[in-house]
Amino acid sequence: MRIVVPIKQVPETNAVRMDEATGTMIREGVEAIINPLDLYAIEAAIRLREAHGGEVTAVSMGPPKAMTALREAMAMGCDSAVLLSDKAFAGSDTWATSYVLSAAVRRMGEFDLVLCGERATDGDTGQVGPGIAAFLGLPVVSYVSRIESVADGRCRMHRLVEDGYEVLEADLPCVLTVVKEISDPRLPTLRGKQKAKRADVPVWTAGDLDVEPSKLGLEGSPTRVVKIFRPSVARKCEKLLAADETSVATAADRVVEFLQTRELI
Amino acid sequence: MVETTYNPVTPAIADELRRIVGDRFVLFGDAEKLEPYSHDEVPDRRYAHMPEAVVRPDSAEQIAAILKLANRERIAVTPRGAGSGLSGGAVPLHGGIVLLCDRMNRIVELDRENLMIVVEPGVVTAEINEHLRSYGLFYAGYPMSLETCYVGGNVAENAGGGKAVKYGVTGRYVLGLEMVTPTGEIVQLGGKLLKDVTGYNFIGLMVGSEGTLGVFTKITLKLLPLPKANVDLLALFETAEAAIAAVPKIQTESGIIPTAIEFMDRTSVQAACEYLNESLPYRQAGAMLLITVDGPDAGQVETEYEAIGELCLQAGATEVYVADNYTTSERIWKVRRNIAEAFALLSKLQANEDLVVPPAAIPQLVTGVGRLAAKYGVHAPCYGHAGDGNIHTRISPPAETTEAQWNELAPKVLTELYALTASLGGKLSGEHGIGHKRKKYMPLFVSESYLDMARAVKRAMDPNNILNPGKIFDVERKD
Repeated sequence: MRIVVPIKQVPETNAVRMDEATGTMIREGVEAIINPLDLYAIEAAIRLREAHGGEVTAVSMGPPKAMTALREAMAMGCDSAVLLSDKAFAGSDTWATSYVLSAAVRRMGEFDLVLCGERATDGDTGQVGPGIAAFLGLPVVSYVSRIESVADGRCRMHRLVEDGYEVLEADLPCVLTVVKEISDPRLPTLRGKQKAKRADVPVWTAGDLDVEPSKLGLEGSPTRVVKIFRPSVARKCEKLLAADETSVATAADRVVEFLQTRELI
Repeated sequence: MVETTYNPVTPAIADELRRIVGDRFVLFGDAEKLEPYSHDEVPDRRYAHMPEAVVRPDSAEQIAAILKLANRERIAVTPRGAGSGLSGGAVPLHGGIVLLCDRMNRIVELDRENLMIVVEPGVVTAEINEHLRSYGLFYAGYPMSLETCYVGGNVAENAGGGKAVKYGVTGRYVLGLEMVTPTGEIVQLGGKLLKDVTGYNFIGLMVGSEGTLGVFTKITLKLLPLPKANVDLLALFETAEAAIAAVPKIQTESGIIPTAIEFMDRTSVQAACEYLNESLPYRQAGAMLLITVDGPDAGQVETEYEAIGELCLQAGATEVYVADNYTTSERIWKVRRNIAEAFALLSKLQANEDLVVPPAAIPQLVTGVGRLAAKYGVHAPCYGHAGDGNIHTRISPPAETTEAQWNELAPKVLTELYALTASLGGKLSGEHGIGHKRKKYMPLFVSESYLDMARAVKRAMDPNNILNPGKIFDVERKD
């Protein structure tokens, strides 16, 4: 089984500060980590390989320092990795990113699955996984919480929906985006770290991929960020306090009335 | 035997206290509001005692006035920080006044030229490092209850924590103290000095004095450059013996001083992992070591963690995990930090012990605790700071044990446990303190001459035995 896992390096959110003036994230001096939700895709891929054999390749589009994220993925157990790095990719939105990642997947040759995290914790769009599927012309199943079986050219899985899950089947190859429920990611091991450090991770530039230059980077990105701001959340709090034990029932009645007048119950 | 007796806090005295600190900052006569100040984090409520008043001063002068009043009226005063202690140190054993330091929570001065910071006692220790991070500095005192405890309490207890192997305990960083004596005088000890032999080393006496010799009002701490890289290793071993045997090996053979070497036995890891719903492969592991390495650059730290990791594998580790970023590091430290909380939920009857022995004696201590547990049929999970010789164990009886049975059994187990600790050259408490919880076991570890010396100091500084009476040792000799 050949599985490709696209991952993203994101700022560690616990340390993120916002520049109040520009409304953008201060990325300088902030530790970069693998997008935490991508760890579930890595784990799911490694488990499939452990069950069926084959190879897991991590791929990331980003600046040279994204190499750290790829080596971490290898330390967890991915067999190989590819970094897509080129000044021409800078400023890509989800459309351009999906385009480049799909071109990279295509260059890798035969594959059975592309496993993505649900979304990245910095951009929060959840568009890149389905975007890759669209560019590759493949079926996509998002919010996968369990992969039941992969056999005879088909994949059977659970998709998390609001009030339960759906059981779906898709033809291979296909693209899945997975959610936390799929399995807990393992920690990288010392031997894994050492192997990853020595591994040769190729860097592909735009020239290595079958892509049109006009569709890359800022220029190739149809998304225009007009303004980023912190929405102000206005909460109107009303407190109902029971003065003593005897008035608890009255207070409870008031709460019910409060909710009823707002058609909340 | 002479018992010190104290006078109650009367409404008139409460009024006088209000005049000192302001109306809003005195709690008096409302049992429900006073209750939280009757205990610390020792779960056993037998160690609790209600205060009569809680006073929240805002300055050294106010504290001095309170202590003068208390001496005049013969009222006991118990200083209190965040109340996260584990020995009953902040419990007002004789009622009276609890002197709460929460309003004195200012960072007075960051002195970057001298690499020092001056803080008030009510500053949350974690906030000091929050404040320092952007300056590339840090304060190396690191107790485990980092989100809650106050620095004043850390100094009073000489708190240790996870980083003591490399950085030592709180006392190493205290350079200066402004304090109020038990009789209400404000004095300065030490200062912004790295060397100072001008008179007695009173700072050494005050650090760890558990609020019995003075109330700190300003603390000058030494800072260090913030390490730029740190990596945690989590090493899994088949047995506790194998894990613990690896500790001296790491310390003597690697040529590296790790920041922390934490030990967790099977029961500890299991309790914490289940509590956290964590999927680490803990069922296969008999014990784990959590080892931290930090340093000025990633390259050096990598060389060091690889060397230590290899040593662990040679010592029989079945797996060594590497956490070099916040996500993974937090995940494994969370397990270590939640052991106490996880156990607290499992049984109400337990003795939370804080044994310390010379680091090389750790294997004998851990196996000895195991033997004792088997002999008395109790649970005694071990975890803690193996690298500095400080092991925590939570002794609890089987589920069907009644409280009465436990009250009879616990002292037997503890006395034997302490005898074992003493025979290894160890002491009663490494970092939690004595308080009143462990007071009666002091003679197992110190001589009568030592106690006489301690009594002489206490009597000289606090002739009316006003400040935190009943802690560490009895002021009157019992013979």
